Amino acid sequence: MKKMDLVSGYKGVVGLVFGNENSSSNDDSYVERLLDCISNGKLAEDRRNAMAELQSVVAESHTAQLALGAMGAYKLVRGAVETLVSALTPVTHAKSHKNEVQPASMNSDLLSRDEQNISLLLSLLSEDDFYVRYYTLQVLTALLANSPIRLQEAILTIPRGITRLVDMLMDREVIRNEALLLLTYLTREAEEIQKILVFEGAFEKIFSIIKEEGGSEGGVVVQDCLELLNNLLRNNASNQVLLRETIGFDSLISILKLRGSTYSFTQQKTINLLCVLETIRLLLNGGSEADPAKDVERLTNKTVLVQRKVLDHLLMLGVESQWAPVAVRCGAFRCIGDLIVGHRQNLDNLASKFLGDEPQVEPALNSILRIILRTSSIQEFIAADYVFKSFCEENTDGQKILASTLIPQPFSMTHAPLEEDVNMSFGSVVLQTSCRAASVLSYVLKDNIQSKEKALQIELESPMPSFGSPEPLLHHLVKCLALASSKKGKDGKPNTPNSYVQPIILKLLVTWLSDCPSAVHSFLASRPHLTYLVELVSNGDATVCVRGLAAMLLGECVIFNKAIESGKDAFSVVDAISQKVGLASFFLRLDEMQKSFIFSSPKPAQCHKPLTRSNTDIRAEMEDIEEEDAYEHKNEDHPMLASMFDSQFVNFIKNLKIGIRDGIVKIYSHPKSNVSVMPAELEQRKDEADVDYIKRLKSFLEKQCSEIQDLVNRNATLAEDVANTGGGGSSQTEPRPNGGSERVQIETLRRDLQETSQRIEMLRREKSNIESEASSYKTLCAKTESDLKSLSDAYNSVEEANHRWENEVKALKNGDIEAIKAEAKEEAEKESEAELGDLLVCLGQEQSKVEKLSGRLMELGEDVDGLLQGIGDDGGAPEEDEDDI
Amino acid sequence: MSYAYLFKYIIIGDTGVGKSCLLLQFTDKRFQPVHDLTIGVEFGARMITIDNKPIKLQIWDTAGQESFRSITRSYYRGAAGALLVYDITRRETFNHLASWLEDARQHANANMTIMLIGNKCDLAHRRAVSTEEGEQFAKEHGLIFMEASAKTAQNVEEAFINTAGTIYKKIQDGVFDVSNEASSYGIKVGYGGIPGPSGGRDGSSSQAGGCCS
Repeated sequence: MKKMDLVSGYKGVVGLVFGNENSSSNDDSYVERLLDCISNGKLAEDRRNAMAELQSVVAESHTAQLALGAMGAYKLVRGAVETLVSALTPVTHAKSHKNEVQPASMNSDLLSRDEQNISLLLSLLSEDDFYVRYYTLQVLTALLANSPIRLQEAILTIPRGITRLVDMLMDREVIRNEALLLLTYLTREAEEIQKILVFEGAFEKIFSIIKEEGGSEGGVVVQDCLELLNNLLRNNASNQVLLRETIGFDSLISILKLRGSTYSFTQQKTINLLCVLETIRLLLNGGSEADPAKDVERLTNKTVLVQRKVLDHLLMLGVESQWAPVAVRCGAFRCIGDLIVGHRQNLDNLASKFLGDEPQVEPALNSILRIILRTSSIQEFIAADYVFKSFCEENTDGQKILASTLIPQPFSMTHAPLEEDVNMSFGSVVLQTSCRAASVLSYVLKDNIQSKEKALQIELESPMPSFGSPEPLLHHLVKCLALASSKKGKDGKPNTPNSYVQPIILKLLVTWLSDCPSAVHSFLASRPHLTYLVELVSNGDATVCVRGLAAMLLGECVIFNKAIESGKDAFSVVDAISQKVGLASFFLRLDEMQKSFIFSSPKPAQCHKPLTRSNTDIRAEMEDIEEEDAYEHKNEDHPMLASMFDSQFVNFIKNLKIGIRDGIVKIYSHPKSNVSVMPAELEQRKDEADVDYIKRLKSFLEKQCSEIQDLVNRNATLAEDVANTGGGGSSQTEPRPNGGSERVQIETLRRDLQETSQRIEMLRREKSNIESEASSYKTLCAKTESDLKSLSDAYNSVEEANHRWENEVKALKNGDIEAIKAEAKEEAEKESEAELGDLLVCLGQEQSKVEKLSGRLMELGEDVDGLLQGIGDDGGAPEEDEDDI
Repeated sequence: MSYAYLFKYIIIGDTGVGKSCLLLQFTDKRFQPVHDLTIGVEFGARMITIDNKPIKLQIWDTAGQESFRSITRSYYRGAAGALLVYDITRRETFNHLASWLEDARQHANANMTIMLIGNKCDLAHRRAVSTEEGEQFAKEHGLIFMEASAKTAQNVEEAFINTAGTIYKKIQDGVFDVSNEASSYGIKVGYGGIPGPSGGRDGSSSQAGGCCS
């Protein structure tokens, strides 16, 4: 039989140790030896054989079964699991070669491939034996470290698998600590596992452990708890809701509370606090990007956190606790910024916070401002600056409040002693402070025209008498700008701490002048400003950023310029640019800046890695970016600028650049014209003689001609400019409509001319129409006149006949009989009466005809009365009275 | 955050029967006609009052799709109540009830209270499962039954609250050993809950599992 063979085989190896295996007293020791061999055997084969032997002995012998039970099968399991741990942990001292197979990872791969193995391991967690549970957890942790995804998937498919693991958190301390590490690995980037953990009550357990361990004062276990907590909340809206709605943020916020010795910050305490700040940051970040309700969740988290008084604790850490390490203070500031940004109530809440003890209370914002101005750490400056940036964002009222506190006494602040900065000269201190204040001011002014106007009113008393009379703040800033560059030159070391002063002051100026013609006006009011700026743009010693921002500022002087006085209008700025800098290199400066790392580096401000045990140590000791050796090259911008120039500013610059490009093109295509072109003025005036008209048009054309000449000249400058950069023309990818702008202008003039001649042609045609109409009326009139003449002739002949008849009647009356006389008379009367009647009818008709014609003639402007008079007199030809043609 | 008891619920049933809408109606009192497919599980919470005691409901809304079954099963055992939902206009969702129930019986604790809900009862004209059939099924399997509409909110409150009432009664009747192992039944005892050795304390911290061996 096979079994017997194995036994006999085994005997060959360890047979001499065991004499008579059938005696019951020896069964115990035999089993024990076998067990010992299993756990301590040097050769793998020995152990395997011992295992097989044990199997057969137990199967055959009753006493052996008893012995095994008495000695504890767990020893066996314990041995097996412990072996597994060793098999999965890389041997640290062995130097591994790169191509060599990593046995540890290979083993874990083999082991985790079968879900059954994982299931078996999880079931071991319910064993009573401490070591079995302990080693099993270690095996699982090792497996997770080597093949996390496979193990995460396997555990999800095992019913109650995660429940068992979470239960380990309530186990005795050693097991609990192992379980924390295991669960931290398990929950990394595994949303479903995170949720199940929370379903199983992980939050409560974590907070109870943290409390037990002493909160932030606790040891590394607290850090492990917080790391697990962060894994459960990171991008997981569901878990965030659960924490907020059913457990509340109180237990979390209470970890921030400084207890006991507020002046002692051990490294562990610092790390713990950084971890909690990270937790708060995660809550402020909300769920995953894909979640449509993300913004709502974030807002609710912000609201509830502030309701639970997180701001007080953060201000304590960031502002009031003088002993808190820089990293903690910075973290607190970042959280404050995130808490308030875009959140009305929280903004108001921060604005109404007061710090300090009576009677020296002051608004929290004041304290933060003072930190900005005084701190010796660039990191802290950036973090505190972030609070102001967040405060001013989309907060017009807040900006106004801050702007209203701008009263001309800033040097009371700069005079405050900066003990730490003994190695800086007074000039540098002033510059540093001005630069930091400038940064804050740029937030106050951003997109807020009222604040900009308000700031324009500020006049500064000069700190040093030599500086002269009071000057506007804006001018003072330009002075600081110039001072910063001269300082640089003098030291010979271009990258003293001042190297970010210029970009930040320029940032303020660019923000200030944007969309604010009065600021542009104030800036250009002093002539040297423009000259200085033009020089700065072409200054080879200045950094990419400085030159780019200076170019932006110049561009703003063009596009936001409403001035009309020559020398300060947009046109003269453009001329200054094209003559002193050249348009092509001007635009090149803008492009260069946008391509620089400060503008192109990834912006989502908080893309830092999650805190883990391995990287917290470094973070906790995070100090300032070393100013001396962080960068060595001349002409490079300070790395801190990358965080100062946030995505909004980068976008702003991007849009501004487009605006400047368009604005300058527009200036060239619609030049300020000496001759105003009004179509109406091109027409001949009513009582203007043709000669005058021609003269006027001529002078107009002459003016236009000279203007075209101007344009041709400017075009030549531009062409020269293009030719100069022609070699590297590829860098200028965008089309340059400038060259064509004159052509456009000439085209417009030509079109105007064409239009005018067309108008004249049309007028001429209209005139001949009227002429022909007049002549047709003339002929009509003549015809009517002749009609009238024939009528009056007929009337005359009738009257003549009547006269003849009357004479005849008279003759008859004298000679013959009365009867005949009477008869004849009667007859004649009858006849003449009828004839008269006819005549009267005829006359009436004629009369109405005349009336009608008179009316028509009157309409045509004929002198009807005159005409008719003629007819009455002699019926002769009416005088002709025609219109002049 | 103070409550006398905290009950954990799960909502299960075929995909598209309106589980997420029921939860949204209960927690937010609103209806969303178009709802994304639930991935894994989603969480919701609300406070209710039973017998003048504040009771916190933690509700896990699970994905109905088969591919998420292994994940959603992890939530069965730790739940005190389950809402098993079908759609009265889709016969097949009713036909699948038996397999859902089997799953629940296999993975959940034996004392889990199950409420059967025929959802979408506002769509009576498209009804494919009669109320009687629902009642019959519930009776056969010892479930509480209710027809509801997440859209009109009809019976939504009742479904969640009646389930809680049943669990509460089970506690009063001593079905659970709440002073000891409440959390494994999906119940936590808060302030004002049943007095016991750990009555005033957080349920979880009292559940110190086999510490030493």
